[in-house]
Amino acid sequence: MPYLPTSQAYLEQSAQLLQAYPDTTRIVTKYSFPTNRRGNLTRAHKSQVRKDAKAAASGGTTTTPASPSTATATLTLKTFNPTTGICLHYRTNKLQEVGRLITTLGKLAAGADVAGLGLSAPVPVSADVEMVDAPAQEATPVASKTQGQGQGQSAKGKKKGGKGKR
Amino acid sequence: MAPHLGHDEFFKSLTDLLSKTSQQVHGSVYLTQKALINVPGATTTNSQPSILIRATDGNTNAPNLKESKESRASKDKSQKIKLSTIVSPDDIEAFYVRYADVCKAGMSGLKKRDRRARKAKTKGGAAKVTKP
Repeated sequence: MPYLPTSQAYLEQSAQLLQAYPDTTRIVTKYSFPTNRRGNLTRAHKSQVRKDAKAAASGGTTTTPASPSTATATLTLKTFNPTTGICLHYRTNKLQEVGRLITTLGKLAAGADVAGLGLSAPVPVSADVEMVDAPAQEATPVASKTQGQGQGQSAKGKKKGGKGKR
Repeated sequence: MAPHLGHDEFFKSLTDLLSKTSQQVHGSVYLTQKALINVPGATTTNSQPSILIRATDGNTNAPNLKESKESRASKDKSQKIKLSTIVSPDDIEAFYVRYADVCKAGMSGLKKRDRRARKAKTKGGAAKVTKP
């Protein structure tokens, strides 16, 4: 269940997953605020401490955090295919991304393929990285399809190995 | 299961749900989309399926069960907010334009573009950064 680093990678791989399994794949968009569970709070505190230490080490003047008290919501996008167990994640907390993401989800819903999303053009910097990524992911569902009869477990393991390589 | 809503009703309820969650600074909203293939009752034109859109709060706005014992007794599944609508292939584009607007407006808990900080960093580039 990888969290993909860029929205472009997430959307492209989602498009491929939807193409491979259009009838069972679903996309869940979760808009959520962090809960006040103890684990969450300690984790947030630790990361804040780490951030402060980093700032102190590099900059000297520790800039006060922009919004220490107001909790920031996160938007988590998840493309899940229950039959193969493939699950793609993307997480963001930027409001400016929402419009673009939802619009692209609409294109996915309309059955657009990777090229139809029109994502490659505006981000030329990371384009070459994505090109390396794309064929590997394309090969994965096919591989799991061919050996998928009655051995979902092994197919899953294979997939995990493939993702670890990257 | 509640019946599917019309688009207008769905957006109205979704706006309420998102704004309520944002105001409370607590809870989650789950939005699911799924293609309806081989489902009776769904219109399928030129091989494009209809899309089922669901929205729920996942019962996250219910009172915390650990904190109060009484609320557990009164726990009722019907508290959970569930919305759903079906988008036919012809309406997808128009629907998602509104959908994106509703989400943009409702998800105010996310980080806004920090114009102030960027202006301070690059004084000249501020004009370029600020978009309408």
